[in-house]
Amino acid sequence: MSLHVPIRRHTLDNGLRVVLSRDTTVPVVAVNLWYGVGSRNEPPGRTGFAHLFEHMMFQGSEHVPKNRHFELVERAGGSVNATTWFDRTNYFETVPSHHLELALWLESDRMGWMLPAMDQDKLDNQRDVVKNERRQRYDNQPYGDWDERLHALVYPESHPYHHSVIGSMDDLDRATLDDVADFFRTFYVPNNAVLTLCGDFDEDRALELVARYFSEIPSRGPIPDIPGDAEVDPVIGRTVREHVRSSVPLPRVIMAARIPTFADPSFPVAEVTAAVLGTGKASRLYRRLVRERKVATDVVTYAFPLLTGASMLFLWATGYPGSEPQELEDALAGELNALARAGDDEVRRAVTLTETHLVRSIERVGDRADLLSMFALYFDEPERLNEEIDRLRAVTVADVRSFSARYFGPDNRAVLTYEPEVAT
Amino acid sequence: MSAIDRNRFPEPGAIRPFEFPPVARRRISNGLDLRVARMTRLPVVSLNLYVDAGESALDTARAGLAVLTGDALEGGTAHHSGVELAEALEGIGATLGVGTGWEGTSVSLTCLADRIDEALRLLAEAALEPSFPAEEVERARDQQLAEIRRRRMDPGTLAGDEAARRYYREESPYARPLGGTERSVAPVGRESVRGFAEAFYRPVHGGLVVTGDVDIGEVESLAEECFAGWEGAPPPLREISVEPRTRERRLWVVDRPDAVQSEVRIGHVGAARSSEHFFALTVLNTVLGGAFTSRLNLNLRERNGFTYGVRSRFSFRRRPGPFQVSTAVGSDVTADAVREAIHEIEALIAEGPTEEEVAAARDFVAGVFPLRLETTGQVASRLAELIVYGLPDDYYHRYRDRVRAVSVDDAAEAGRTYIRPGELQVVVVGDARTVAPALERLDLGPVEVVEGSGT
Repeated sequence: MSLHVPIRRHTLDNGLRVVLSRDTTVPVVAVNLWYGVGSRNEPPGRTGFAHLFEHMMFQGSEHVPKNRHFELVERAGGSVNATTWFDRTNYFETVPSHHLELALWLESDRMGWMLPAMDQDKLDNQRDVVKNERRQRYDNQPYGDWDERLHALVYPESHPYHHSVIGSMDDLDRATLDDVADFFRTFYVPNNAVLTLCGDFDEDRALELVARYFSEIPSRGPIPDIPGDAEVDPVIGRTVREHVRSSVPLPRVIMAARIPTFADPSFPVAEVTAAVLGTGKASRLYRRLVRERKVATDVVTYAFPLLTGASMLFLWATGYPGSEPQELEDALAGELNALARAGDDEVRRAVTLTETHLVRSIERVGDRADLLSMFALYFDEPERLNEEIDRLRAVTVADVRSFSARYFGPDNRAVLTYEPEVAT
Repeated sequence: MSAIDRNRFPEPGAIRPFEFPPVARRRISNGLDLRVARMTRLPVVSLNLYVDAGESALDTARAGLAVLTGDALEGGTAHHSGVELAEALEGIGATLGVGTGWEGTSVSLTCLADRIDEALRLLAEAALEPSFPAEEVERARDQQLAEIRRRRMDPGTLAGDEAARRYYREESPYARPLGGTERSVAPVGRESVRGFAEAFYRPVHGGLVVTGDVDIGEVESLAEECFAGWEGAPPPLREISVEPRTRERRLWVVDRPDAVQSEVRIGHVGAARSSEHFFALTVLNTVLGGAFTSRLNLNLRERNGFTYGVRSRFSFRRRPGPFQVSTAVGSDVTADAVREAIHEIEALIAEGPTEEEVAAARDFVAGVFPLRLETTGQVASRLAELIVYGLPDDYYHRYRDRVRAVSVDDAAEAGRTYIRPGELQVVVVGDARTVAPALERLDLGPVEVVEGSGT
């Protein structure tokens, strides 16, 4: 099969890229905005700011008082949220289709008129909320800081992925209202954003509404370079390690490698290789480590779709009570080495699983809009969504073998080990 | 470009009606209830086989056996080893999902629609002809024991499990974690699992839901073929205790020394899925803690910054599941957060919600209904609920009208009937040294510090 998601593009005079994708099967519409700013844009001492700023975007704008954004969308029967990541920040609503204009009004108001609504109380309040988010997801959670530690291992200190999206408590404490204003003026500009509408709407009418609400927002100067040193060696150069003793229930070994970026033609090979290793119960790691050898209780693999310098692929295995971490590490390394003998069947299966996952990930208009925004922002090519299946299908067993030989050696390996601190 | 008045809230456009997908209902010859909804957004299909094999059927000594039996289905069948079964399923892009709850077990998958024949055959084989090899059952058991251990060390799941024990009496299944305890799971072997499946994996009271881009006649004949010869009924439903463990408001601190945050659960025994107040409770709970703009979240998060978020919910089960507020708050503000949460509950019950709040909650609940029915998997889950809870065929077609019919008096009455502020149990998993003295000073009820059972 292949995908035929309808795509219409338009660019406003202020540089805002607009993507329209119609689907009238359910009377709902997704409004999805991606801004080209994420934690990679944070200079040293300002970690976590892009995400804190995302919270501030919900604190009202000139014509929308605090809480009103949520009140109006919920009253309309919609859902609303936002996320911050390394390379971008996204904001999205899905609303019943007759409330499209409401969502456009809200999104345009904060893109154009956010700053008049900012004050110190709101900043202090959201700083507390974000600190509690950090506590809940990282500090008070077994293994919660794993991705923070892993990024610090895989990327050098000068690289923008060295620090986590959530950032440090100290840096959050430093954030000021002036920082909010500067960040807004620098990054939250129409020429640094993509707006996607997906779902039930009339295209001409929708474009007219988009123009009405967004076109008076002025574009601004060039987006500053990413701080630090985005260029990085394609491999780590050696095996780097960190051993953490903490209050985790079971030992876990997480192994990661630098891989080419999401923009690289070999990225589909990375995705398929991650699936060969860890997607489904016929995958290599599940079959060997969980089912046959019974050294692991669970396994996970993932190729991060990152843009800057190098991306990352990781695999993890969680042991049983009393497992030796070394045994888990050896087992993971053994499976990476064994990819040299990867077979055609498993690669075809991994492709099939990955493409089915892709089709399922466009079932909801909100998810579909998110992918279209991503391809539009990252590559200026939302049409890439329709080519993804072909890109996956083109991956061969030879690709998987040579990719593995190139990237999965001990010269390109980070090993993060968690070991329970209490004798059990 | 026409100037617009940004102070003006945009008027909604013309409403486009939402219709729940039409559902064809058949009973195939062994008594299995078949429901098919045709959805054509994408060429995908979801299959969901439900059997009345839930944890409520088990006494305390066998807790976790239904979960383990479900998980052990992947161990293999009469015709395929576990690896072969996984290869066959994943070869058509499907991963088998087995979900066991209090009421029953669902075996489900989603794949491209043109693979439905193979998918349904494999799903039926996995559920009806499991071979439960001893070593695969032992592995599933050991994984479940590891999961029980994980739940004791994760403050969030620990808080939920500890709270359930405070709400229900010891003999109630709802008092224990769904997956059982170390004591009940450790001795389980192949014979128990096989015996449970033999008794409970039966077509009567079960059902097969198929949603997606399919032909109803073809699905029916395929289902006849795949499920032929499978017969019988599970044992009758067991009476279970849902009496509150206590009528006295009490506070419990499960000690996690030096924790930087406290996981908080506040609740008591709630309402059954069959409650005539179901819709009124859903609306009332939205006012209290079911949405972002609910009273609890606007207070604890947006006004006070105590938390990243707070929610309340009724877990509607065949018998009354818990009503519960859940949040994670900074250690130093834990008592303040508990005070505010209890205050919000008390005020809502004493004074009732306002007209405006109930109108907003109705609009929210009715409005988001279609948003949660976009995928074939979502619709399949909703249709399976009709079977589980014996709800009428037109239930979802009338759902939004019934939400919109809830009045402010209905919501207030439902709240007074099902929420009893004086009986709330407060469970805090956190640093007792910081938290307990401050909770004492609230004077809400007796405070007891219990050992963290994290290890």
